[in-house]
Amino acid sequence: MPQSQKSRTIAQDRFAPLRGQLLAAVQAFSQGTRTIDKMLAAIVDDMERATNEPVEIFPVAHHSPAAAIQILRRLQDGPTPKVIFVELCEDLQSVLPGLADCQLPIALQSFATETAGFPPDWSPLTVVAPLTEFSAEFQAIAYALSHPEQTQLVFVDRSVDHIFQWLPQQEGALAEALGHQEDEEGISEEANENLHGTAYGVQMGRMEPTFEGFQEVLLSNARVRHFSEWWDQYVESSIVGADYQTYREVMCLVGSLIRRLGQSKERLENDRKRERYMWARIKEHLAQHKLQPEETLFICGAAHTASDVDSFGTQTPHRDPIPPRTQTKWLYGIIPSSFRSIEQQFGMPDGTISLAENAWKRSQEALGLRSLGIKDIKDIKDTPQAKPAPKKSTKKTPAKADPTDKEDASSSPITSVSTVPDVLGFLQRPPQLLEQDEEQLLRWCVEIVSMARENGYLASTADAIAIYQTAILLGRMRNRRHPSPYDFQDAAITCLEKDRTPKKRNVRRLCEILLGGDRSGHVGYSSLPPLAQDVYDRLSALPVTLKGKTVQRALMDFRQNPEYTACSDLLWRLHYLLGKNNSLIRPIMGERTLGQRALQESWDISIGKYQAPLIQLAYEGASIEQVLERRLLQHAFSSKARTVQALEATEDSLLYLEARRLTQRLGEHANDLLVQELGADAAQDIFERIRRLVHYYRSTPEGLPPWLQHFVATGYSHFSTMLPEAFSDRGTSPQQISGMLAFIFTLESLALSMGCERSQLMIAIKQSASLTQDPEKLGILWAAEWLLSVRDIDEIRNFFDHLLQNPLTLVAFPRYLDGFLLALTFTPLVSRLIVELLSKAFERLPDRVLMPWLPSLLMGLQPHRDTLLPSILQEVAQIYPKASKELDAWIAPWYRERRKRNAVIPTTIVQEIRPAPSVLSNEERNVFQLMADHPQTTDALAHLFGVATTWRSPETAEAPNISTASSVFHDEREVGAHALLRHHPQTTDALASLLRLPPSWPTEPTHAPSDLVSAMPHPNAVTEDLEPEAAAAAALLHNHPQALTALVKHLTN
Amino acid sequence: MAKKKALVQEATEAQTVTETQAEIAAASTEATAKPSAPTEAAAKPSTPPKAEENLREPAEVKYAEELAWLESVDTGNKPFSWRLSPRMIRTFILGTQPGEKLARKIDQKFFGDATLVERAIVTLASDRGLLLIGDPGTGKSWLAELLAAAICGNSTHVVQGTAGTTEDQIKYSWNVALVISQGQSRDSMIASPMMKAMQLGQMGRFEELTRCTSDVQDALISILSEKYIAIPELSTNNVVFARPGFNIIGTANSRDRGVNDLSSALKRRFNFIHIPIVTNKKSEREIVMFRTRDLLRRNNFDIDVPAALMDILLQTFADMRESAAAAASDDQRLESSLSTAEQIGVLEDAILYGNFFGEKQLTANALARSMIGGLVRRVPEDLSVMNKFWHAVVEKHAKENKKDNTWKEFSEGGKSIMSDMSK
Repeated sequence: MPQSQKSRTIAQDRFAPLRGQLLAAVQAFSQGTRTIDKMLAAIVDDMERATNEPVEIFPVAHHSPAAAIQILRRLQDGPTPKVIFVELCEDLQSVLPGLADCQLPIALQSFATETAGFPPDWSPLTVVAPLTEFSAEFQAIAYALSHPEQTQLVFVDRSVDHIFQWLPQQEGALAEALGHQEDEEGISEEANENLHGTAYGVQMGRMEPTFEGFQEVLLSNARVRHFSEWWDQYVESSIVGADYQTYREVMCLVGSLIRRLGQSKERLENDRKRERYMWARIKEHLAQHKLQPEETLFICGAAHTASDVDSFGTQTPHRDPIPPRTQTKWLYGIIPSSFRSIEQQFGMPDGTISLAENAWKRSQEALGLRSLGIKDIKDIKDTPQAKPAPKKSTKKTPAKADPTDKEDASSSPITSVSTVPDVLGFLQRPPQLLEQDEEQLLRWCVEIVSMARENGYLASTADAIAIYQTAILLGRMRNRRHPSPYDFQDAAITCLEKDRTPKKRNVRRLCEILLGGDRSGHVGYSSLPPLAQDVYDRLSALPVTLKGKTVQRALMDFRQNPEYTACSDLLWRLHYLLGKNNSLIRPIMGERTLGQRALQESWDISIGKYQAPLIQLAYEGASIEQVLERRLLQHAFSSKARTVQALEATEDSLLYLEARRLTQRLGEHANDLLVQELGADAAQDIFERIRRLVHYYRSTPEGLPPWLQHFVATGYSHFSTMLPEAFSDRGTSPQQISGMLAFIFTLESLALSMGCERSQLMIAIKQSASLTQDPEKLGILWAAEWLLSVRDIDEIRNFFDHLLQNPLTLVAFPRYLDGFLLALTFTPLVSRLIVELLSKAFERLPDRVLMPWLPSLLMGLQPHRDTLLPSILQEVAQIYPKASKELDAWIAPWYRERRKRNAVIPTTIVQEIRPAPSVLSNEERNVFQLMADHPQTTDALAHLFGVATTWRSPETAEAPNISTASSVFHDEREVGAHALLRHHPQTTDALASLLRLPPSWPTEPTHAPSDLVSAMPHPNAVTEDLEPEAAAAAALLHNHPQALTALVKHLTN
Repeated sequence: MAKKKALVQEATEAQTVTETQAEIAAASTEATAKPSAPTEAAAKPSTPPKAEENLREPAEVKYAEELAWLESVDTGNKPFSWRLSPRMIRTFILGTQPGEKLARKIDQKFFGDATLVERAIVTLASDRGLLLIGDPGTGKSWLAELLAAAICGNSTHVVQGTAGTTEDQIKYSWNVALVISQGQSRDSMIASPMMKAMQLGQMGRFEELTRCTSDVQDALISILSEKYIAIPELSTNNVVFARPGFNIIGTANSRDRGVNDLSSALKRRFNFIHIPIVTNKKSEREIVMFRTRDLLRRNNFDIDVPAALMDILLQTFADMRESAAAAASDDQRLESSLSTAEQIGVLEDAILYGNFFGEKQLTANALARSMIGGLVRRVPEDLSVMNKFWHAVVEKHAKENKKDNTWKEFSEGGKSIMSDMSK
């Protein structure tokens, strides 16, 4: 280290001019405040201290090509360090050997699903540390891994566990840390392109100021939009070509400035914790291996060089204790990353990383360096390192001054040529810029135009010229000697973007693609964990390229290629494990249900692009089957699991794993859980699942497995036992009860064959009867009772008829009906009764009850449209007439039955009412005889009235028509007619005298009309056919006495 | 060219046309007075009428002193005949930064992305025209005016695009009386503002370019590419060439998109710069204050808007934009574009009302009245949208900020005027 030695000896002299100049600047520009003065002095002190530290501190900035170039030159030209300390989480070091078969960018990942000591809503915890080729840390890693015998690599930063320990231990604190853009180490959003998922990002040398005010001043002064642009323009591009010592000093200065001015309090506090940790680790390592500090290199963020912790440096013996980790079990691996993911993770503007890569390639070419890559790690044996002479770029063209910060900027015009390679001289010199920019800009201009044309823009050579011109003008205006990529981008947008974007990509996006575009990394096969390797192996039978970054469509015809069946099984397992919405694999055609095997399937596979979920899965086990088994067991045996979850796991085990023992175990566990089940809330779900399983197993040659038989038996007795409680418990809904009954009745035969007794159910049902008043539950209960022949259908019918007659009670009718509807789930037999009740409801319910109920009826029926409605509709089709013509003559069957019974009732009434079976007098007998002998008249009369006549011989006739008509009153009109005839007896008397009959009028009707009315079930219901017509006949006779007279005349003649 | 035919036509309807032309000519400043002597006019920068005489001064008059000072200290490279170097123009428009070594402070005049202004300036220095495109009220015309004022000291070469704009108004027309008496000559020709700008090597402005029909727009193609206007009616001296420094700043309304689309030939001759609606509350506050002060200075009083009311105004507009973006159909949206200019209008109205009819100070009640009065244009659609918004969002704010009575007052004021309107 010749340079650093020199710097140490003449340090005091070297920095004096710088101090002097800074002081002069303060005096010239500040209004007498001494704080700036002190601060500037402190910055120089920080730098001095850092460069004097025996451990060679190498300050870096994140993803800075300049830092990568410098460390490369240092490692290739300088003395080989025995140890390289790197500011990265110490426990991530374990995954480094896996780097050998990867394609950058990748990310070192740490992952924990089960956490101990952290707030529960934080899990799962993920940490990623992305690595790109152009980062100092990667170059150092690559160097150390390719020179294992000379150089040892040690990660010294706090462990992954500590990251989370040091967050405030509250729910939501993690989300805040992840979601807060300006926060320490970035964010991650669930974007399509983000390969990191929701992870906490770790990055070395994050420079972006967290103190908003400072950043604002910095950016607006420099007239740039983002900090990365500022960094690129004012620091990065000028220190690429600087010599090693100057690089370190400048970085220390900038780091110190940003640390002292630009960081928020929380960030500073966190930094201090980390610094204490790092120095403790470094000192520990040095002591353990008896190394001299001078033999080591420490790569850390530039801000850490200005640390103010006590333990800074090896010259103080102070060493802070290392805090313990929590019990959390961390898993480590490598996942692929991409430029875009890194940008999103750390909240950088789009394209930053692409530009950095661009700069890296350019500087490499210009300086004639060969970078270390994955290849160097891979073939460690190829030791001869290409060490091209680090030709210092001789073309030092004078350019603009480099205002590292505003104070420095003010000092730049004063030039003093110094011969010693000192930092002041560097700051005063214009930066050495790399040549061939001109040519590159021209190339970009031409290429962007052709890309724009491909993307639908009307772009031509004229545009290329305009872009070139505009870029140069913009660069000038922004105080740049040569347009930066940002200027180029702005120019391209200005000249090409019109009022709308013709195709998918706009010019900004095109520029990003042109300047490097997104690049995503890939974890090679041999670096993959065993599970992922296994997946790759087993899917290799498919006709797709698994390494491709695009979406691949796999078409599988299992008849032609039976070997694909195994692939399909694997894909389904993966699909189950990764969740329905994973980006890895997606079924396009085909599904997996119990008892069905698809003949063809097609899948979209993009494993090549999204390796990360697969790798994370690999943390859980060695093979997919093992992980799946563990997941299923976890699902079923977790403390929160209930019968449904266990059954679900059982079903999934049948679907995805052919492991009979596992299924049996899960099923038995479900059985155990069922017994402990206290409520009926899952009854419906349990029933559905069990029914599916029973159907499936019945179709298999082995038949029902023992666990399922046990389950059915247990379920039968369990639910039977629970019935009374369910009926009485208000918290149990009718739906749940119907679910229970569905289980009981549907699986009854199976359960009985397993030794259950129906009497258990009978007792339960009988017990329930007195326990509930809820109409819906009563509806269900009665349906069940009817099914068990405990209740007669007429009983139910009568109850409802009664209910409907009382305007106060008919309001409850719909609720009973709802109960019956629910009963349909366990027996289709009630559908007839339901149709009857529904018809009555529509017939008799007043609108004020019917209308509000209709929506709930529809909504209640809607979920059963596939199961219950068909049986109801079938029933309806049988009952109702097919054509509207038939409707007139149609009588509902339940009324038909009623009429049959009613036809009996009048005769009984007649028998009861009649004082005695009257013996006809002689005269009567004569008249009857006469009428019987001359039936034409009466027949004609009857025909006129539309009445069928039957003639009986007077001997057999016990109750002749006429006398019946006069003595029994069934109808109001009849009574009226009778009253009328009584009040105007002349007609009848005349008739009687003609007929030679003595007039004999009863004084009062035998029945009060009101009684008769109340006996009618419904005013409109037709109960008897003949009586009204007879009354009409009487009325007619009375109204048209001529007819009678004529009749009498005819008879006498 | 169809110019000859047009001339015949023109002669017939001579009187009316001449009048319109004359009016337009008069609308531009006194550079019009001597169209035939462009050199003279250019040499002597326009001396606009005194401030008291005009309702609104163009930017170059308003900031004349500032511009002159900037010109005096400007050492940068000036393209063409520009008065200021691009960097100074940027400083003029965006204001000074503490890091800049200028002896006096220049106020920020346009609030928006600095990149956007830089791109605009650079475009004007290049071969292409500049088209500022954006929603109404985003400050397109103001930026165009500032640019023209800073570059050439004259922002009044304006053609206002309307559905009735003809090609004559872009190129030239004839003073029919002079044509009859003296025949066609350069003297009897009436130059359009655009032609004048060409002759003077200044910025021509075309407002609302997309309001003109496409064939009229296309008259700009030759001006932008060949940089001259031919006058085929004359046999000699029949080409008007543009002097260096000429360029066109157009503005177009993105709400008019699709009405009169620019032809692709014209599109390629313009660089489009989209001016977004300001959504950053901090800069929006600055804009609103800046413009309102400016406008009220006309009435000769300065106001002090309480910070709480300013917050309410900005918050309410932000909320309204949010709900407009979420609305499913145009009927559920206010007709207003809810731009910053609308906010300025609302605030100005409220202040004026308070000052002339109220308690000489701005109250939350008056602000609510102005807001609803200003934004409800269609009754009943806008009113019902506003009613819904008011009760869903403003009410909520009023309830959340119990301590502060301003929100409550604001909410009540709005409700009372809405109930008045719905009578």
